[in-house]
Amino acid sequence: MPPEPALRARALVKRFAAPSGPPIEVLRGIDLEVRPGEMVCIEGPSGSGKSTLLNVLGLLEDPDGGEVWFGDQPVSRLSRSAKSRERGRWLGFVFQAFLLLPSLTALDNVLLAARYVGRAGADARRRAEALLERLGVAHRRDHYPAQLSGGEQQRVAFCRAILNDPPLLLADEPTGNLDEDNGAVILAGLRDRARAGGAVVVVSHRPEAARAATAVFTLADGALTLRRSA
Amino acid sequence: MVSGALRALRGYAFTVAGIAIGVAGIVALGAMAERIVAFIEGGDRFVLGQISVAGRGMGMGAGFTAGGLLPAATIEAIRKVDGVDGVQAQVMLPLNPSTSQFLTLTQELVVGMDVAVPMPNRHYPTLPVRDGRFIRAGDRRRVVVGAAFAASHGLTVGSPLVLEGERYEVVGVLDRMMTAPDRFIIVPIADARDQWVAKDRLLRTLLASGAAALRAEDLNTGAAVGWRPGADPDTVALRIREQVPGVNVQIPSELSALLRSSTAFFSALLVGIGALAFVIGGLSLANTVAAAVFERIRDFGVKRALGASDWQLGREVLAEALAVTITGGVLGVALAIVLGFSVDRWVQRAGQELFLFSPRLLGGAVVFSLALGTAAATYAGLRIVRLSPAEAIRRGNAA
Repeated sequence: MPPEPALRARALVKRFAAPSGPPIEVLRGIDLEVRPGEMVCIEGPSGSGKSTLLNVLGLLEDPDGGEVWFGDQPVSRLSRSAKSRERGRWLGFVFQAFLLLPSLTALDNVLLAARYVGRAGADARRRAEALLERLGVAHRRDHYPAQLSGGEQQRVAFCRAILNDPPLLLADEPTGNLDEDNGAVILAGLRDRARAGGAVVVVSHRPEAARAATAVFTLADGALTLRRSA
Repeated sequence: MVSGALRALRGYAFTVAGIAIGVAGIVALGAMAERIVAFIEGGDRFVLGQISVAGRGMGMGAGFTAGGLLPAATIEAIRKVDGVDGVQAQVMLPLNPSTSQFLTLTQELVVGMDVAVPMPNRHYPTLPVRDGRFIRAGDRRRVVVGAAFAASHGLTVGSPLVLEGERYEVVGVLDRMMTAPDRFIIVPIADARDQWVAKDRLLRTLLASGAAALRAEDLNTGAAVGWRPGADPDTVALRIREQVPGVNVQIPSELSALLRSSTAFFSALLVGIGALAFVIGGLSLANTVAAAVFERIRDFGVKRALGASDWQLGREVLAEALAVTITGGVLGVALAIVLGFSVDRWVQRAGQELFLFSPRLLGGAVVFSLALGTAAATYAGLRIVRLSPAEAIRRGNAA
């Protein structure tokens, strides 16, 4: 019997106000389930709403309709603070633009993930250092983001995303700003998370991402279509 | 801890500089206002500490005791009035009678004091001497000069000073009092009387003619009168006016009101300048702090994405804003002080001092900065907390 989904979305709708005329419906009743051990890749043309879908799934943005569950808990309509708490418990994010805090060193950026979930301490520090070592950026631990290459920044961001060992990892074009080698490192990291029992959703244009995924969806005209499943 | 604070302030250099300049502006303008307030309040304190009496009519006397001659017999009569507790004969003369006496607030005065009698002024029983000593009974051709006069004339203890062709020795320099005595040249009353005679041709002619039976001790332009403990100074002053003929008596409260009304324009000007400084500086500070918080909007969005609650985020926004405001505020105060002292060092050569950095001003500026910084950070923080993390990141990326 397959494990319960780590992430479920039912009938997700998201609209944005248009400069004139009716609102633009970016997501039109999206359904999605991602189970532990699965890596789902979402493809689609630019502007099709992939990042918006990921934002709604990750509670970074509210849907206009539908619901999202983490495990068996509906989370879309929680209070702002409760959503923050659930994000801290369930999610790790990897962004295309890395989004490291420029005033913090690489190590402190990684540790930031532990700060808001009450796990900051010696254990978190040891784990952060081990992750930086594993991703090959331990020698950059005391450097600031501006002193790191794009590939190094994304590796640090990846360490931050998995520091708390979240059940669910959301990655928005994680290799979009990287060269092939660095992209391969990040994709391998995402695949390893899934193999270790995590649930991973990745938005990417790269064929390598689709190849590494257990299921590939295409988002177009607000609808999600399964293209391939393992 | 220091490195942590410095790290927290990374990227805020321009913000800190902006706040520092705003606070420096407020403090510098405030210090100028404080300087003038100190002058007015010092004068007020002085006139409220004694009853000033002059002879009726007109004479060469200046300052508080302007008026006609106040003979020794009249001083003796004042001493006998009920409630009076000490009368000190004085001679106050303009150092340079040829200049206009219009701006009496900045006038350089020769003040002759009968130091055989204790100073009856309640608020100034002695004048504070910074260097050297005060004049003593029996001294002749000795002077004690005010701080501003000493600075503008390059005088120190031991310096010679020529007054009306006579050589005097500076035996003391007063502490800076921020009011009229800063420009006083205090001499024994006998020397002041000599100067008066030397300056006043009419008086010289009168004395030479023998038409008036005047002794040296009759040559007084006025007297400072004290009152007994528990007595009401205005009542005592009115009593002197009623009981002693031929005197002009300044009622302390009336003189204080007169002084205040004559400086009302300056006071109003200061209030205006101060209000303007606070509004402009305050708005600049609040705007800088809010802009600095909004500049970090992307970072706050990322923190939300990582699980920061409203409370955690609000606390961090406030802590960073306060750290920036305190740093900027303290630097601003330091900048204003350095600026003020530099300017004062320059203008002191002309006997001026433009800035007074009082503790209440410095404390007020820091508290004011903190309050505004907190208000601005709270406003910006509330705006940010209400945004979705995605929107905060989007806006941060667009900025």
